[in-house]
Amino acid sequence: MKKTSKQNASNRISKQNARNRKDVWYKLDLSAIVYPTLQRRDFSSVYRLSVVLKEQIDPDLLQLALDRTLPRFPTYKVAIRKGVFWRYLEPNARPGPYVRRDIKNPCMPMHFKGNNRYLIRVYYYGSRIALEAHHCLGDGTGGMCLLQTLTAVYLELTGHPVRPEGFVLDISSEPDPEELEDAYMRYANAQVCPPRPAGKTYRVRGTKEPFYTLNIIDGVMSVREVMAVAGKYGATVTEYLNAVLLYSLLQKQASDRPARPRPVRIAMPVNLRRFFPSKTLRNFITMVYPFVDPRLGDYTFEEIVEQVHNYMRYYINAKFLRGDITTNASTQRNPLIRVVPLFIKDFVVRTFYTRVQDKNSSAGLTNMGALHVPEDMKPYIERFDIYMGQPFSSRTNCAVISYEDILTVNFASSIVEADVERCFFRRLVQDGIHVTIESNRE
Amino acid sequence: MSYCVNCGVELEASLRECPLCHTPVMNPREIGRELPPSPYPTAKGQVEVVKRKDLGILVTVVLTAAAVTCLLLNLLVFSASLWSLIVIGCCLCLFVFLFPAIFYSRMPVWLMLLADGASVAVCLFLFTFVTAEDAWFVQLGLPIVAFLTVCAEIFPLLSRFFPLSILPCALCVFTEIPAFCVALELRIRHYLKQPAHIVWSAVVLTVCVIIDIALVTILTKKRLRNEVRRRLHF
Repeated sequence: MKKTSKQNASNRISKQNARNRKDVWYKLDLSAIVYPTLQRRDFSSVYRLSVVLKEQIDPDLLQLALDRTLPRFPTYKVAIRKGVFWRYLEPNARPGPYVRRDIKNPCMPMHFKGNNRYLIRVYYYGSRIALEAHHCLGDGTGGMCLLQTLTAVYLELTGHPVRPEGFVLDISSEPDPEELEDAYMRYANAQVCPPRPAGKTYRVRGTKEPFYTLNIIDGVMSVREVMAVAGKYGATVTEYLNAVLLYSLLQKQASDRPARPRPVRIAMPVNLRRFFPSKTLRNFITMVYPFVDPRLGDYTFEEIVEQVHNYMRYYINAKFLRGDITTNASTQRNPLIRVVPLFIKDFVVRTFYTRVQDKNSSAGLTNMGALHVPEDMKPYIERFDIYMGQPFSSRTNCAVISYEDILTVNFASSIVEADVERCFFRRLVQDGIHVTIESNRE
Repeated sequence: MSYCVNCGVELEASLRECPLCHTPVMNPREIGRELPPSPYPTAKGQVEVVKRKDLGILVTVVLTAAAVTCLLLNLLVFSASLWSLIVIGCCLCLFVFLFPAIFYSRMPVWLMLLADGASVAVCLFLFTFVTAEDAWFVQLGLPIVAFLTVCAEIFPLLSRFFPLSILPCALCVFTEIPAFCVALELRIRHYLKQPAHIVWSAVVLTVCVIIDIALVTILTKKRLRNEVRRRLHF
């Protein structure tokens, strides 16, 4: 009898929880609105973060760690749904997501109705744990928080407790409401909406790989060496690597011998948390576009570094960035746009992205910067990797991350040729940086 | 530890060639040595197929049920005419229209349009059993459907060979509209046994020819074309 009443009570509680869960839903943040509209059969905006540990991964323990970690991240344990005017996220109580053995072609398209509607995947291979997340859930910082917390819980299960600190969150605590906020709306309050740079840029032409292929080339180097070389040019590591990528794209364009050369521009996400305090685990980035225009004359490498350095100094500050996010927010705030049905918005956004936005940059580069992990975790971590994922059009994406003295530059592309990557790493070698190359190419 | 002689980068121990320039790794001191496993997995992943079986079953059952029940009702209760063929024809059309979206989304567009045209033709043919005569089908219905299908087929066929942007698309549309209108009016006049000349379609033809001339001018003059693209870009 006692057991029955206990069962009834627990049933009541679970029903109450289910009701509460049904009441909860999340609007997509300002950046996240765009990513689902670009979804194609062969493309999803998926990025990958991975950590290499110093010991082999136990998949059962990793699954247990994932099951314990994910409820702490309510905006990652969700499914995406269509409304009449906007998409939204709702809590996903389906079984999963399940950890799986890693594959050769990461960042595969992620169908919204597949994988039990989860928008994350967790892989293991050897001593590596990899997290793939759809960009509509959050940016690299949010993903890194989830990956580090998952790693900490996993280590704890293997008998190495880790105290929560920095990116590692306490899984026994309730999520802070600020972690779930759309931080754009809090800071999109400039009085003018500055125009965006627009115009066609050089696009890398190459032989498209068949569907399900993502070519990866990783360059592993010493942070100290790269910093020393960047310092020699009077630039930061990000500025220096941006300049090397611009230089490589210029070389590639010159070797293509185009009838009309075009400007070479890089799309680089900037983490807005550096300028506008927020604990959000969702998207809070904006794009800047450092560029060089070969139509103005030939650039030496030193001039490219200087151009990038000055561009970054001029554009990456709280004032400009606030203006930029206000421009982004203005479309979402416009009542006329808000009442347009979703399928029309999808059509317009997709057309705009394909015709204008995608042609606006020649390549993508992101730098997660120097990662910090709690002291308890340090002895077990070898390195981190980050992949921007499959590019929307045939080009190459470059992602940089560093941990302790290991800096990894990860290129991901869907084209056969590796001309840009070759030129990039050769330039680093010329500058005296020791580079070790890893690749999934055959 | 091997280095690429071309690029100067150190190559990870499992690599047989430099992934940047494809120069083979030749280390005389390590000939015959077994390569360590790659840090990357070798198994390829496949995207999970989203099953639309439930929707497919629902649509098929609903359409079949509608067709069969109407047929029974027609045969057993309201048997004055074969009105159920209209419902059956409409259900067939709907099924063919929905087939690519639900069952086989990789169906080529030209085949999809052809199937749609054929289903409409079959539907109209079924209508002839309800109407008093069937001359309208042979002389009017079938030619109009065939011509409409051909007009629609031109787009996927052109897009296979040429990259279609807005201006050529507009040119194609404004050429097809008057051609269709003229053919339609001539067919109607032929069916009504009236002399073959055009009246209302001549107005459509004139307007479309003016638009076509403007579009051809814009397309042939690069400066004009760029100006229009700049002003109309989105």
